[in-house]
Amino acid sequence: MDYTVIVILEILRAISWLVILAAGLAIIFGMMKVINFAHGEFLMLGGYITIMSHNAGVPLWISIAVLAPLTVGLFGILVERLVIRHLYGRIIDSLLATWGLSLLMIGGVTMVFGNTVQGVSTPLGSIAIGAYQVPGYNLLLIVVAALLMAAIWALLRYTSAGLIARATMQNPDMAETLGVRTSWVYMATFGLGSAVTGLAGGLLAPLTGVAPSMGVNFVAQSFITVITGGASMIAGTLSAGTLLGTISQGVTFATGPVWGDAALLLAALVLLRVLPQGITGRIFRKSL
Amino acid sequence: METSLHRDAGFWVMIAIGLALLVAGPLVWDLFQIMQITQYVVLSVYVLSLSYIWGFGGILSFGQAAFFGLGAYTFSVASINMGETTFPFLLAFGLPALFGAALGYFMFYGKLSDVYMGVVTMVVTLIFWKLINHTAGPEYAIGDARLGGFNGIPSVPVLNVPGKPEAWLDPGQMFQVFMAILVILYIVLRTLIASDFGRVSLGIRENETRAALLGYDVRRHKVIVFAIGAGIAGMAGGMWATYQTFVDPNVFSLEMSAKALIWTMAGGVGTLAGPIIAVVVLQYLSLKLGEMHVLNNNFILGGIMMVLVLLVPKGGLPTLRDALVALKARTPAALQR
Amino acid sequence: MSEPTPILTTEKLVMQFGGVTAVDHVDFSLNPGELRCLLGPNGAGKSTFFKCLTGQLKPTSGTIRLNGQDITGWETHAIVNLGVGIKTQVPNLFDGLSAYENIRMAARRRHLKPMAKERAEEMLEKCGITHLARREVGLLAHGQRQLVELATVLAPAPALVLLDEPAAGMTGAERDRLADLVLETARRAAVVVVEHDMAFIRRIAKFTTVFNRGAIFREAMIGDIMTDRAVQEIYLGKQADVAA
Repeated sequence: MDYTVIVILEILRAISWLVILAAGLAIIFGMMKVINFAHGEFLMLGGYITIMSHNAGVPLWISIAVLAPLTVGLFGILVERLVIRHLYGRIIDSLLATWGLSLLMIGGVTMVFGNTVQGVSTPLGSIAIGAYQVPGYNLLLIVVAALLMAAIWALLRYTSAGLIARATMQNPDMAETLGVRTSWVYMATFGLGSAVTGLAGGLLAPLTGVAPSMGVNFVAQSFITVITGGASMIAGTLSAGTLLGTISQGVTFATGPVWGDAALLLAALVLLRVLPQGITGRIFRKSL
Repeated sequence: METSLHRDAGFWVMIAIGLALLVAGPLVWDLFQIMQITQYVVLSVYVLSLSYIWGFGGILSFGQAAFFGLGAYTFSVASINMGETTFPFLLAFGLPALFGAALGYFMFYGKLSDVYMGVVTMVVTLIFWKLINHTAGPEYAIGDARLGGFNGIPSVPVLNVPGKPEAWLDPGQMFQVFMAILVILYIVLRTLIASDFGRVSLGIRENETRAALLGYDVRRHKVIVFAIGAGIAGMAGGMWATYQTFVDPNVFSLEMSAKALIWTMAGGVGTLAGPIIAVVVLQYLSLKLGEMHVLNNNFILGGIMMVLVLLVPKGGLPTLRDALVALKARTPAALQR
Repeated sequence: MSEPTPILTTEKLVMQFGGVTAVDHVDFSLNPGELRCLLGPNGAGKSTFFKCLTGQLKPTSGTIRLNGQDITGWETHAIVNLGVGIKTQVPNLFDGLSAYENIRMAARRRHLKPMAKERAEEMLEKCGITHLARREVGLLAHGQRQLVELATVLAPAPALVLLDEPAAGMTGAERDRLADLVLETARRAAVVVVEHDMAFIRRIAKFTTVFNRGAIFREAMIGDIMTDRAVQEIYLGKQADVAA
């Protein structure tokens, strides 16, 4: 019984983890159809901000929930203005440019902070469930994933900014004729996506510590989740996160963590062979 | 536009340069220079794998390092087990080509969009890198070859004369063999591009729908082109392993994939000579910059990549060519209009 | 008199997009060597029907047969390889290649090298575009591009030719040449033409199928179609009056 609960919690944690990692990327992809190849480095940046500010005396939760999203969000807006904006409609070029940015950031951070791992201890201790101990931080991740999805949904559904965003997502030319400055919408989207990624990086920092090339360890999962989910931000991320989280956790239980990612990719390839636009390209097409 | 190969001066110039270097190189260079230039030759073979499929097949792979690494490990494992290098070298082409065909089947028969293809090819590389990094334990061995995880496989055999496992090539000979491979590859690719098969590739690059409307199976054709590119990258990986007599997971790194993209972009998509020149120039520059220990290598690579995309989207050689044409034709062109 | 075996038939062909039925249970039949025009107002489903025939769309249900063989849901290239020539609504050409190269690639699919060259030159002449042979097709005018595309379609000498709005964007002289070409082609092959241009239709049409709201509305000789009140009404969008 206890073991069942633990297994379920582990699967939920894996799903939540994918959702948190991929949400920022999914926001950008859903709106702009562009994959930010520097996603891993945006995570890394969020992690560094968290650790640095915490070391400077800021409470950890403030660092994770405020400083990391804010800084990375602003950085995202800067990147959008300086780079992405010039590459609208040139999707391949924007992939290449963000990949360049990724290398640039890894190199830059290495030059500034050195190629070492820095970290803080994971807060929240652990909670006993029967004979098992569950890290409290894992439960927090599940809650954060749920809140994050709910917040994005509410933003899109109930605010006027969300309405503009949805309109632009459906038909950018039409939105433009209705007086929407799509260029600003894209800037805000990229900023918001980056902020969410910054939050994910902040949450990551106490778990894994931070190092310049840490992003590499997380981008595969994030990318697979987003392309498997397809263009809908919430439905796509949730459905792909659930499917892939379950698969990877199942494989991890069976064979250890090494094959988890490979199983994810294989599952995604098979799925894309059937649904080339991702899950929400065919199912839940009209959802957010 | 339509030029037959034997009348293209550039084609003969490239071959002449290659053959001249092949003959004269070992006579004029010292050992260090030979080693350095051999490295450029190997990386040139590698970059051609991408320049061909991207420039002449319209297929952008963000994961050539997956095939490069697969070729490097295939060659290492096979040659350690077999005690000779000829068959392993062929395997370094064959196995990645097969893997490329399988991956290509999923991508092209699934009709994935460019973004999806980019992501999938990149993720494949990442996963190889992760998997191979986790093979440190003694249980991860194929025959006599321990994979060694992040430490890699030491003492990969040097290339030997076919049929004579004891007759190892010295660095000068290895340079000559590799240079010959590069020249032959260049001739083969140029011939392939000029053939009917190559024209269909160009057609698919220009307009997939029309190619299908003419009765060409676009998906199958792309799988073949992709697999050829994968095989070439794999062969380059095999050359890399035997050149270094050592292989580690870095052959699967994202930097390795990015380098192929950067060299191809810098040289110009749609040429073969340009990317080779870019390999030599950019590798030499990053070597010199690296020696100064001011800038990190990734920082330089990333910076070059962004500058290329934003400022020189057509690539070095075509931009130079256009500039020359514009300079030459400036006045007459103005008068014509 | 026995009916000839049709070269192309569809049975209960249906194509739905979400809740919209663009092609609604269409039964269509074309005899070998026949020239058939498909007419109908915008949104009548002609182009969707056409795309089902060419394999660019996979029909929701129903069957398409070519010479008795079920080709429903086949890939475009496989249909083409059964001897079908297709011209799409939006010109599809290899923009970076010359007109000659475009046509030669089409001919090469069927012919050996020397023959393909000969055939390409013959098609250039037949379509009156020999002077454009070396030009990059991406830089040609719209009507010229249409002629180049027609040459690529006809180069492999298909037994069935499907043309979607071939006269769009053509000048008067180009249109006349096109009409002659279509009529000449129809002497050796079955031809289906989807077209809006009534001047062009008048020059070529014989037996004609009129589409409306995804279904076949009328099938008759062009003369009868032109004088048909109900057909005139749907073109003017007055179905309500007809019903009344």
